[in-house]
Amino acid sequence: MNAATPSPEAAVVAERLTKRYGSLTAIEDLSFSVAPGEIVGFLGPNGAGKSTTMRILSGTMSGTSGRAAIWGVSVALDPAGAKRNMAYMPENNPLPEDMRVEEYLTLRAKLKDVASERVSERVDRVMEDCDLARRAAGRLIGQLSKGFRQRVGIADALLAEPKVVILDEPTIGLDPHQILGIRDLIRSLRGKMAVLISSHILHEVEQVCDKVVIINRGRLVAQGRTEDLRRELLPDCSFTVTTRSDEAALLSACHRSEPAATVTPLPATTAGWNTFRVSLPADSPARETLAAGLAIAGVSLREIAEVRYGLEDIFLAATRRAPTEPRRS
Amino acid sequence: MRHFRTLLAHELRTALLSWNTWAAAGLFLALMGGIHFFALLEGSRIASERTPVEATLWFFWLPLLCVLPLLTMRSFAEERRSGTLSALLTTPASTAAVVWAKFLAAWTVWVTFWLLFTLFPLLVQQRLGTPGDTRLSDPSVLWGGLCFIAVSGLLHVSIGILCSCVTRSSALAALLAFISLLALTAAGGAMESLPVESWAWLGWLHEPAAHLRTFAHLQDFAGGILDSRPIVLYSTGTLLCLGLAVLAVEGQE
Repeated sequence: MNAATPSPEAAVVAERLTKRYGSLTAIEDLSFSVAPGEIVGFLGPNGAGKSTTMRILSGTMSGTSGRAAIWGVSVALDPAGAKRNMAYMPENNPLPEDMRVEEYLTLRAKLKDVASERVSERVDRVMEDCDLARRAAGRLIGQLSKGFRQRVGIADALLAEPKVVILDEPTIGLDPHQILGIRDLIRSLRGKMAVLISSHILHEVEQVCDKVVIINRGRLVAQGRTEDLRRELLPDCSFTVTTRSDEAALLSACHRSEPAATVTPLPATTAGWNTFRVSLPADSPARETLAAGLAIAGVSLREIAEVRYGLEDIFLAATRRAPTEPRRS
Repeated sequence: MRHFRTLLAHELRTALLSWNTWAAAGLFLALMGGIHFFALLEGSRIASERTPVEATLWFFWLPLLCVLPLLTMRSFAEERRSGTLSALLTTPASTAAVVWAKFLAAWTVWVTFWLLFTLFPLLVQQRLGTPGDTRLSDPSVLWGGLCFIAVSGLLHVSIGILCSCVTRSSALAALLAFISLLALTAAGGAMESLPVESWAWLGWLHEPAAHLRTFAHLQDFAGGILDSRPIVLYSTGTLLCLGLAVLAVEGQE
């Protein structure tokens, strides 16, 4: 549909977006972008302003100030033009209960300017892609399970082959099998369309997304690739050590390798063995030699493993950080 | 325009499959059938200048207040409550197209109800009347009256649509429509019965009040008088209400 449109540098642009409800500020000075074909996770605690931002980007709500653009088209100045390039699935995925799946998707395809001769083909295609064709095509939406309803919402989002897809909590309420299916589906969109996805399931975001944007209390606290954020927000290096030695002996041994090392006891998992977390400064050379250093110091080791910080740790570190602190751009 | 056509077809289909429409149709036909029956009964007992059809049409306000709010109450209120209106507005279809499609669908259903009502006088004429005798059912009065219903219905339906835009509760939307339509009809009736022109301090109201005389409009239409002023009144009122409805939907979403 938009094949002739030249590809802009950013598929989604939020520039100093602010939304106020009277004296309450939902989002403030929020700026980020999503590149064409990129999958970006949009994270934040409850009430951080994720849904508000997504609604402004989708054109269903106007911002108080700032600029939102979809595929180079201003959402405020040309909402219809922006909507032609974009599909939005809201958090609760509202669907008409009294329509059949195929009938609903056909209506949506017509409203989304899919060429008349392609409506049937596109509806069949998205129903096939979302595993609706065999089991749900002719059923009333009101009779569908939560999983199938989410699939209908995603099928609707993909109908018109938009340049940008905005999904607000697409896997909420789904069982693990359904989550896997949706995750694979979203992954298959990489390179074809820009996807902005909000989710509370951080493991899922980490697996699917190229980049994350983290907001807290309406302001941006971090954005970038997970690896970069890990280096920025959690620069120290930690190891889990299981040993027969006590805390004092282990700390003394660690100090031989790195004087700035700290030791924190963790709950023991095996009788007779103690578990500790050993933290080293970010650029400590002891990172490479800690295991050997402990052995030389006579610490009896059962296990030593580097702690790999996940997105959950990054998210917690970012959201603990005050929103006014300098942040990545 | 393509969005409008798609939405109109969808709204008509929804109306056709809704229990609400069928309940409203049943109520409408029961009301109008009953009124027509009593008008016929009255006409057979007492000689009157009014034909039974004319007498029946005079009660147009009854289904207007009792049935029309049922047709329009769910149009936006229900969609806003369930969230499907937000989903609809994520498509390139404009708010105006959505409002006009819902309005035209409700107006079509309203006019269809009245067309169904014509079966009563036509059947009566066929069964009891004699060819050439129009005392039982005067076609000119019937079709003139229906023209009034269709033209005034534009404003009445648009008021119902506007009321449905301002709340998430269908019941509240129906109540608001009932009160608004009652005020509009009663205002017209009051203007007719009160000697407004003789009151000095209300004298200035005489000219504008003349435009609000709903029952006089019905009489004119039924009598075959085509006055452009009520047509302008109803069409501009319709545009105003629908414009406000668009603003209300955009403001709330």
